[in-house]
Amino acid sequence: MSRKTVRAPLAATAALAAATGMCLWGCIETYGVETAYQSQNRDPYMISAQFTRLAGVAAAVPESATLGYLTDAAAGSVTASAMRTAAQYVLAPRLLADGTGHDWVLGNFTRPADFAALGRAQGLRVRQDFGNGVVLYRREGGR
Amino acid sequence: MSALAWVFDAPILGCLLAWRWIGLRGVAPGWARRLLLLGMGTAGGIGLASCLYFLVGVLAGSPVAAMAAELGLLGYAVWGAASAWRQGGPEGGDGPLGGAPSMWIVLAALIALVISSAAIAAGWDSNPQGNWDAWAIWNLRARFLASPGLAPRAWSPLLGSITHPEYPLLVPAFTARCWAFSHSLSTAAPAAASYLFFLGLVAITAGAVAVLAAPSLGALAALALAATPALVHEVSAQYADVPLACYFAGAAAFALLDQPVAAGILAGFAAWTKDEGLLFLVLFFAAAACLRPKLLWALLCAAAPVTLLVAFYKAVLARGTPSLLGASVPGAGHRLADVSRYGTILAAFAREFIGSAWYYPIAAVVIAAAVLRFDRERLRRSAFAGAIALALPLGYGGIYAITANDLTWQLQTSLGRLLIQIWPLALLAVLAAVRAPQIATSSQAAAATVPPLKSIDAHERLTGKSRRRKGL
Repeated sequence: MSRKTVRAPLAATAALAAATGMCLWGCIETYGVETAYQSQNRDPYMISAQFTRLAGVAAAVPESATLGYLTDAAAGSVTASAMRTAAQYVLAPRLLADGTGHDWVLGNFTRPADFAALGRAQGLRVRQDFGNGVVLYRREGGR
Repeated sequence: MSALAWVFDAPILGCLLAWRWIGLRGVAPGWARRLLLLGMGTAGGIGLASCLYFLVGVLAGSPVAAMAAELGLLGYAVWGAASAWRQGGPEGGDGPLGGAPSMWIVLAALIALVISSAAIAAGWDSNPQGNWDAWAIWNLRARFLASPGLAPRAWSPLLGSITHPEYPLLVPAFTARCWAFSHSLSTAAPAAASYLFFLGLVAITAGAVAVLAAPSLGALAALALAATPALVHEVSAQYADVPLACYFAGAAAFALLDQPVAAGILAGFAAWTKDEGLLFLVLFFAAAACLRPKLLWALLCAAAPVTLLVAFYKAVLARGTPSLLGASVPGAGHRLADVSRYGTILAAFAREFIGSAWYYPIAAVVIAAAVLRFDRERLRRSAFAGAIALALPLGYGGIYAITANDLTWQLQTSLGRLLIQIWPLALLAVLAAVRAPQIATSSQAAAATVPPLKSIDAHERLTGKSRRRKGL
């Protein structure tokens, strides 16, 4: 059985060639832009480092716990939001709740301070200071 | 089994089910049918596995039972596929304008996919936990869902609005399933799932355009998607926008191919992926009622199970957690009357197109459409996808207009991703309406060799009997 070959007109072939070339060029340019972007934005919120930073808390607090949250980061700032959300991600399935009204309270600080005094003002005692601004508190009278 | 193995298990299940029970019998050319089945299997398999894990592993509280149910379903799918294989399987022939696309466009598409994949891999290496929304929303909620007994925390109001506990759970539930089944929290699972959605999106769009328009245009669709910088960037971000784009394009593509069951299932999964999926669902059914009324009942039935699951989640489990839309209602009238907000929104759209190098794929499609020109019959058919692609940005624009959040911040952090959701749908709508290259500029050649389009659609697409020709 004979088969008939239909060739596309030159204009159609040229249009497809132009479209193909444009996409390929865009693809190559995207590769350059994307790899440069990724190398300059390597873990910008230091999420991987939070696993190490908060490992002590994760080991000390049961997974079923709900922890209060205490920080010195300015409320509403990007820093405060990133620190809290990153801590929640790393400590999940433990749940973080704003405020200090829980038996366990995570202190997540940006700079050195008298963490024990900060806790006492909230009715908390330091259970363990893990360094790097990470402090685990327990409510006074809690087990 | 590793988390990665469980990621790939779901598309295998989906492909077997799609091949056996959807089949796309008669859809031609055969390679495009296989692409469509791969895309449907990937997106549908992941969606199915997500729903199954949520129902059995989370709500019934037994990940082991969820695994057993899924493996049982996989066994059934293997048996069904083997039975179909023995009987010859779904048939398909070559398309009306040649079974194969031009090899140089296919080669370019493959090169583009390799380059895009390398760029995506750079993102995995740089940010293995994904970008902000990945660890603040999607993967965080997956960590809850993977913990037996603590899963309800995934929609706890204590998470705060930044984690959007009201968002549907397709992506987190699928990731949680992989983690729970493998007893590991491997970052490879959400990364691989995002990449599979990207491949599924390319497969569905390319396959549908190849069937509806011409094989070479299908390859061009794949090329244009692989060359979309914002899309490539979002894959390694591990957000839910690429999955949503896949479900949007898939639902529209299968509706255009007169496959309402597959289309309805994918539309339902869109609603289970993100709140924007609910808007899509409404627009999808409205467009079907107006432009493809014969499919409407089957579409509704196919989308119903997952839509009911979404309704149950929103109305019962996540009740009391306001959505972005709900939180925007107070004071909406005042913000709607503020004309300057519309200028801000339009300026953001313009900046997004210029700043994110959208011009490469858009210019490519414009060149192809301008030279090849639209076919009136195909335009009428693809208007279904085009109407949704036009209505979605209007809907998103309306939400921007009323949002109670800071408008500039909202636009900066979300507009690019919303356009990613719509872009494959728009690409499908445009390329599916373009004339095949062989008949684009030569009416003489068309008259001599190609039967009228209506008879192509009615006879060849449904029967798969080919008038095999080579060319573009």
